[in-house]
Amino acid sequence: MSVNDRLRRVFVETLELGEDVHVEELKYRDLEAWDSLGHMSLVAAIEDEFGVQLDTEQVIDMSSFKVAVDMLRGLGVSD
Amino acid sequence: MTGPAPGGARLVHDGARLIDAARGRTLAGAELRAALGAVADAYAGLPMGVVFARVGITLDSALRYLGAVEAGRPVALLDPALRTATLADLVERYAPAAVVGLAEGGAGADPGELPKGYRRVELPALGPAWVHETAPDHAPHPDLAVLLATSGSTGSPRLVRLSRTAVLDNARAIAAALDIDAAEVAPTSLPLFYSYGMSVLNSHVHAGATVVIVDGGVLAREFWQAVDRYGGTSLAGVPYNYEMLARIRWSPAKHPSLRTLTQAGGRLRPELIERYHELVTAAGGRLFVMWGTTEAAPRMTTLPAERLPEKLGSVGPALPGGRLSVLPGDGVETRVPHVTGEIVYRGPNVMLGYAESAADLSRGDDQGGVLHTGDLGYLDEDGYAWITGRLKRIGKVFGIRVNLDDIERIARDTGLVSGPLAATPAGERVVVWCEGAAPENLAGLVAAQLRVHRSAVETRAIEALPLLPSGKVDYRALEASAA
Repeated sequence: MSVNDRLRRVFVETLELGEDVHVEELKYRDLEAWDSLGHMSLVAAIEDEFGVQLDTEQVIDMSSFKVAVDMLRGLGVSD
Repeated sequence: MTGPAPGGARLVHDGARLIDAARGRTLAGAELRAALGAVADAYAGLPMGVVFARVGITLDSALRYLGAVEAGRPVALLDPALRTATLADLVERYAPAAVVGLAEGGAGADPGELPKGYRRVELPALGPAWVHETAPDHAPHPDLAVLLATSGSTGSPRLVRLSRTAVLDNARAIAAALDIDAAEVAPTSLPLFYSYGMSVLNSHVHAGATVVIVDGGVLAREFWQAVDRYGGTSLAGVPYNYEMLARIRWSPAKHPSLRTLTQAGGRLRPELIERYHELVTAAGGRLFVMWGTTEAAPRMTTLPAERLPEKLGSVGPALPGGRLSVLPGDGVETRVPHVTGEIVYRGPNVMLGYAESAADLSRGDDQGGVLHTGDLGYLDEDGYAWITGRLKRIGKVFGIRVNLDDIERIARDTGLVSGPLAATPAGERVVVWCEGAAPENLAGLVAAQLRVHRSAVETRAIEALPLLPSGKVDYRALEASAA
């Protein structure tokens, strides 16, 4: 599975997103589910799924799904 | 034009500055005064009575609030994410002159349908509003300035009534305790409808300092960009914020302008207090641990930063103008050190009282400057308060008093519930709320432990336990929904 697909699954499962949500277009605080608590859950789930550890700046910079994909690729995660 | 409001001093000092980080706009001096004046003039055109303001973290919200206080128009600060049914109920019960800030709020925020007896209008300086078609039956008390929602037992939030004196005095006392001067720059890390967030705004504008209005909170990139861009000097957080920041290994050292951290809104783990004290001290700054409650507008104590290491775990002495005492079980109030009981606060910042109805808005001072805080603790030799817990939450099962915290422990000890749970009283019975699903045999097991009949304990599933802005379980809201 591609990084994109794996990350999409992490988002959908962690934030309990419905099928109508365009995950790829999602930005922090667009939905009630992606609030600060959701953000911390996402960070933990991403760290588990991809075996990475995010630093302060990365957690704060992770302001959208797209940013998260780029960040993971930057950390050396590949398809 | 509007002069100073009845009752004397202004909340907003002439040197105060508001910065709208999203738009890169600064309002200060004559321009800020004119903006507040325009808001005040718009309020003057409304029917008599209190105004409900849905307040997001926006410059417009800050102006609607500050302008109301400056104009002597009592204003209730409401969470824009309130459920539409809750807002409708509040409007019906308190019959405000108007509801402003209809466009405020982010994801999921919706004011709902136009309430009966109101018309929707576009007001100059205030924006879209619901305005009452007639003047309300009850004139608000002349001392009333700010109303904040807190949970009540009657099924929907009740309002805490704060006088102009309470708000101004607390703003001044906080500024004194934290050395807030005109050079300070505070970003809005907390909601403005939350008493702690409101007090950051109040204490800074009153001291002629700067408030950077930036939405998103401490996990948002825009927040830290604004801190760096505008030279934010302080950060206010509740335990939940500091827990999150610890989780992401945040350090104040990364933001060189940051000199002051403040913490209130509940008990932060001593390890984290120490950690942030060390981090910020190493960066040349200070950490203040504080204690407050909405009913005290809200600040009651502040621990001087230099005494934090020797007083780790204390919330400090009363603010200037306030006094602490302890009411132990024998009912004789005392200031004798190390006597444990309910902490009682006296000061000019204590609320006038609660309001549960429109008629209550006309009430004067019910408290006489005395507040029984509901927090248990003691004072030490230096008069510093140490909070040890809350007064026992007591329920009744068939006439027998039970400690609800014990019931929560019993329910958890069954091992049947993995998620959050909470116990609330419901008449002669007790309700145990479980997030997600309520296990079928939980009520039976809890009742057996308590040696009461199975029907004395009810279990209910709830999607999510209601939380206070401090992250603690909102028991009063839960209790109300059991009714």
